[in-house]
Amino acid sequence: MREINAITKVGVIVITIILIIAVVGGVLYWYTSIGPAAPRKVKIAVVSDIGGRGDLSFNDMAFKGGDEAERDFGIEMVELVSKVEADYVPNLEIGAKDPDVKLIVGVGFLLSDALVQVALKYPDKNFAGIDTYSQEIVKEKYPDKYPLPNLMDIKFEEHKGSALVGAVGCLLAAYYNEKGGSYPYIGGVFGIEIPVLWKFEIGYKWGCDWALKWYEKKFGRKAPIIGEDSRYGSGPNWKDGMYCPPETPGQCWYKGRVLWTYTGTFSDITKGYEAAKPMYAKGAIAVYNIAGPLGLGINQAVREIAEARGLKMGPPFWIGVDANQDWINPGFVIVSMMKRVDKGVYYATKLVLEGKFRDVVKQYNGVLTLGIGTTVMGTPMEGISASTLKDLDEFIQMGIEAEKLVGKKVLPMSPEEIKSKVKEMRESVASWIWDALAELEDKIRKGEVEVPLAFTKDAIDYWRNILG
Amino acid sequence: MLGTFSKLKKPILETLIAILIGFIGGAVLMIIFRYDPITAYVALFQGTLLSVDGIFESLANAVPLMLTGLTFAIGVRSGYFNVGAEGQAYIGAMGAVVLAGSISLPPGIHVLATTLFAMIVGALWSLPVSALKAWRGVHEVVSTIMLNWIALYLVRYLIEYYYYEPGRAERALPALPTARYDVIGASLTTFIFVAIGFIVLTYFILWRTTLGYELRLTGSNPEAARYVGVNYVKIVFLNFFIGGLAAGLAGASQVIGRPPAWTIYKTLGNVINLGFNGIGVALIGRNHPFGIIFSSIFLGILLYGSRFMQYLGVDPDLTVAINGIIVLSLSLPELYSIIRKHIVGGR
Repeated sequence: MREINAITKVGVIVITIILIIAVVGGVLYWYTSIGPAAPRKVKIAVVSDIGGRGDLSFNDMAFKGGDEAERDFGIEMVELVSKVEADYVPNLEIGAKDPDVKLIVGVGFLLSDALVQVALKYPDKNFAGIDTYSQEIVKEKYPDKYPLPNLMDIKFEEHKGSALVGAVGCLLAAYYNEKGGSYPYIGGVFGIEIPVLWKFEIGYKWGCDWALKWYEKKFGRKAPIIGEDSRYGSGPNWKDGMYCPPETPGQCWYKGRVLWTYTGTFSDITKGYEAAKPMYAKGAIAVYNIAGPLGLGINQAVREIAEARGLKMGPPFWIGVDANQDWINPGFVIVSMMKRVDKGVYYATKLVLEGKFRDVVKQYNGVLTLGIGTTVMGTPMEGISASTLKDLDEFIQMGIEAEKLVGKKVLPMSPEEIKSKVKEMRESVASWIWDALAELEDKIRKGEVEVPLAFTKDAIDYWRNILG
Repeated sequence: MLGTFSKLKKPILETLIAILIGFIGGAVLMIIFRYDPITAYVALFQGTLLSVDGIFESLANAVPLMLTGLTFAIGVRSGYFNVGAEGQAYIGAMGAVVLAGSISLPPGIHVLATTLFAMIVGALWSLPVSALKAWRGVHEVVSTIMLNWIALYLVRYLIEYYYYEPGRAERALPALPTARYDVIGASLTTFIFVAIGFIVLTYFILWRTTLGYELRLTGSNPEAARYVGVNYVKIVFLNFFIGGLAAGLAGASQVIGRPPAWTIYKTLGNVINLGFNGIGVALIGRNHPFGIIFSSIFLGILLYGSRFMQYLGVDPDLTVAINGIIVLSLSLPELYSIIRKHIVGGR
């Protein structure tokens, strides 16, 4: 017993000494680190949502934007990955506390509340949120502080991008129907029915209508099946397969060409499969993924059809969203609606470095909307586009990095094979489809056409009546 | 006094050694992956202990863990391996959402009613475990783990279809202002006093009442307990019920006691793992109510502080592993004594 006590005593002394040394060392270290500071690099902090790194979409793209800002502006990006929702506030705060950090970016609408809270607490720091609606929260809760001068919500004109891919979809159907196919529809699989998704829905349907009218003008006839068939409706307001409602006198619309389903989830991949399968069975040539990971469910439905029919290339196709998803199943993803989250981070950094950040916040009530043909204080800042072969490289690179991060195989084949397959697919369809896409993009940019923006219940009801 | 000190000396010493081993283990891990452990640890403690916000955030993290830790500790004290805090916390949080988010009540009453309701539903979720244990002899590990999963999917279903916040599909209805505890600073609210109050109350029940004595006797010497006529069924139900109350309260803490969300997310991201982290907390705190308060604060510091290591560039997954090593090495002494008692020592 005595021996044990002696040993314990020695142990106590040793540990106490070690602990004292550790504490003193730590304090000294801390003390020296706040000593005279050499000019240091400007930093930005990027805080992910719980999707984290390796999601191949939102978060990865935001960090990609930060990487590009590092490269072009010589700044330093600090990455903070949120594991759970409770991490948002502390992660934003740790960035705000660092004197070198000039901009803190929160990625994804989930961080909206947290951004408001932290931006209020650190009025000297600049905050940007991707897809957030923080200023609306400020308006509601702190009306006297609206708009908060150091907080910028970065939003995107998804309705315009959706119009582009909707146009590609319906022209694709027209093209294959010319060749003897029977594709009366395009499809859309949506997530939870929230106003943001209405923007996608109506843009997509409107794009289809625009394209079929474009076809009519170009070829002097209606697009086979998808343009002429009477299956879409009949009655007093219907004429030649088009709907001519009293609300728009003298104007007719290609109603009901889009099959659409709200699955009520952004996470259940099997729901994406279940929604897409009957669409393809009814003759949808392409299905647009507006539900994040549910795209993998749509992809599964396409893959099954491809296997059953021994196809190496679509139709059927699907349409990607947010990132360039053309590489996920090369030959079967005809195009992607790209929402350039990376550009959002990049531009926000640029504005901070140029000292224009708060001016922009002031001018636009705290909301920076990136779209097609956007210019902010004289500088072009686009954030929406249809995917091209050219930007495929960047996203394949993102896939390679994701492979490193998650340690699993992400790319379906070698980058060279992906590129040649996507190129082959794009060349296998008529070049006028791509011409039409370019034309629509140009017209939107010049303001010659206006894509309807449905963000309210009234607007969505109005447009659903017209476009189906 | 001297007696208490000498009784506490051994566990405190063991804990200190375990802390040291844990930190050395984490440092080795960082050195392997070419990070500087000293800078990282300095950042960890500088961020958590040298700033007021850091202390508040660490305490806010500790609040639910001291309660789920208590659930496990009472289980061990009564001789059961209760890993049901996880699911009971989900249910408690859901109960809090229902009452705090969808029903209007006068201020004061609303907070009180929500707190009690969440505790009760958490405890009710433990009843199947007790019933299966008392009358069918189903091992509590099996039934609690199964109920954890049922709770997970039930709560997700309820949020998805009934209690989502309109326009904010990713989360449930937030607690109305009348149902919220006051914010002390950062994410810390006055809920911490409720948590500590509940723990103190439990301590008195366990160590100052006959009931508590019977509970502990059953845990330490089941044969003796049976010999003196302790009602086995009563002990089973009581142990799991108190545990359920604590876990339900832990779940409620994330809804009515934690800004800025004041609700649970459909992912359950802000409730998930509270129960399992509570096991670590209980083991570090030697399954003693007061030990648990300290160990939960310690884990709260680690959970909050790991982001400071991340900020220096340490890979976020590695920071989780470092925390894991520290918690594991701290849990080992108590885990060892439980195993020795139940397996080596036999019953």
